[in-house]
Amino acid sequence: MVSGLAKKKTSGDFPGGSTPPGDGRPCPGGPRSGAMAEFLAGCRDESPLLLGVVPFGMMYGIAALAAGLPAWMAQLASAVVFAGAAQLAIVQMLSAAAGLLPIGLTAGLLNLRHILYSASVADHLRHLPRRWRVLLAYLLTDEAYAVAILRYQARGCGKGGAGGGGPTDFRHWYFLGCGFTLWLCWQLSTAAGLVFGAGIPPDWDLDFAVPLTFLALLTLLVRERSGQAAALGAAFGALVFAPLPYNLGLVAAIVLGLAVGFRVAERKEPDR
Amino acid sequence: MNRMEWMGLLLAVGIVTFLFRYAMIGIFANRNLPAWLHALCRQIAPASFAALTVSALFVRGGEVVIALDTPKPWASLVAAIVAWRTRSVLATIGVGMASLYLFKLLF
Repeated sequence: MVSGLAKKKTSGDFPGGSTPPGDGRPCPGGPRSGAMAEFLAGCRDESPLLLGVVPFGMMYGIAALAAGLPAWMAQLASAVVFAGAAQLAIVQMLSAAAGLLPIGLTAGLLNLRHILYSASVADHLRHLPRRWRVLLAYLLTDEAYAVAILRYQARGCGKGGAGGGGPTDFRHWYFLGCGFTLWLCWQLSTAAGLVFGAGIPPDWDLDFAVPLTFLALLTLLVRERSGQAAALGAAFGALVFAPLPYNLGLVAAIVLGLAVGFRVAERKEPDR
Repeated sequence: MNRMEWMGLLLAVGIVTFLFRYAMIGIFANRNLPAWLHALCRQIAPASFAALTVSALFVRGGEVVIALDTPKPWASLVAAIVAWRTRSVLATIGVGMASLYLFKLLF
């Protein structure tokens, strides 16, 4: 049911209007909602995070101009790279006249965590046609991932499996809503930074909204004991490994957190 | 660095970033995740966001900076309590920013 049937049923362009009667195992809360409702719910649930994304995008726009990047190229990077932390690191290193290789390496290491996000959602996207998987992969940012994975985990159908995938499962539309909202906001806030950036007084400390966003998401994402252990391990690692070059510290911290969480899960939650 | 090099850099980072994002979705398109990876997946979100949060708050250019005589660590503490109690993104950012401004007046 998960792969074959669903593949045919959901491969349509806009399945919203033609929901087939629930011949698959329906997801609790899912069957009646439809594609458009899921998409809009994704947009709605993503929107509080924009408070943290707007200053981030503007910071990047300002930093890009300061680094001597032409505005059109800075905007293009927001569409092509679409990863805030890496983009900011790139332009900061450009201003510091770093070489191509260190910049590329730093950006690559900063984005390495997306492989983990990719693994984390892979199970939920398996039933989708390739163009959906490509599109959602492109939109797989920190903030979109956090909101979408909460949705997948909150109403997961079936344990340990592909989490639904029946013809009445429109949660990929929810993911798309999250991703699209974030994408649009990122493009617009980059543009805003490029246009008005210099007019915003730095003592407003708008950049402080960025860690606050991560903090809010963290508390939503930490629920099990093993998750708490993973978070503590990663937080500890972020401090200990901070001096490592090329932002390798972030990767090392996440790996430490994963290892700690994994160990605790093995001991305390042997059924998973 | 000239424009061609900048373009090359942006394109390269963009392509690599997409490949990272697509990697596991593509690899596991037609097969099940191994059990250990499935178990690990549950830890990915907490570990990643803990590392991102702590780095964003306390790491500056490769150095750990926890300046208790400045407003930000205290505003972060207030925001953390609000985040924990309310589980609301809006409240966390709102109270966090407000307490930052307040602590800036006090310090």
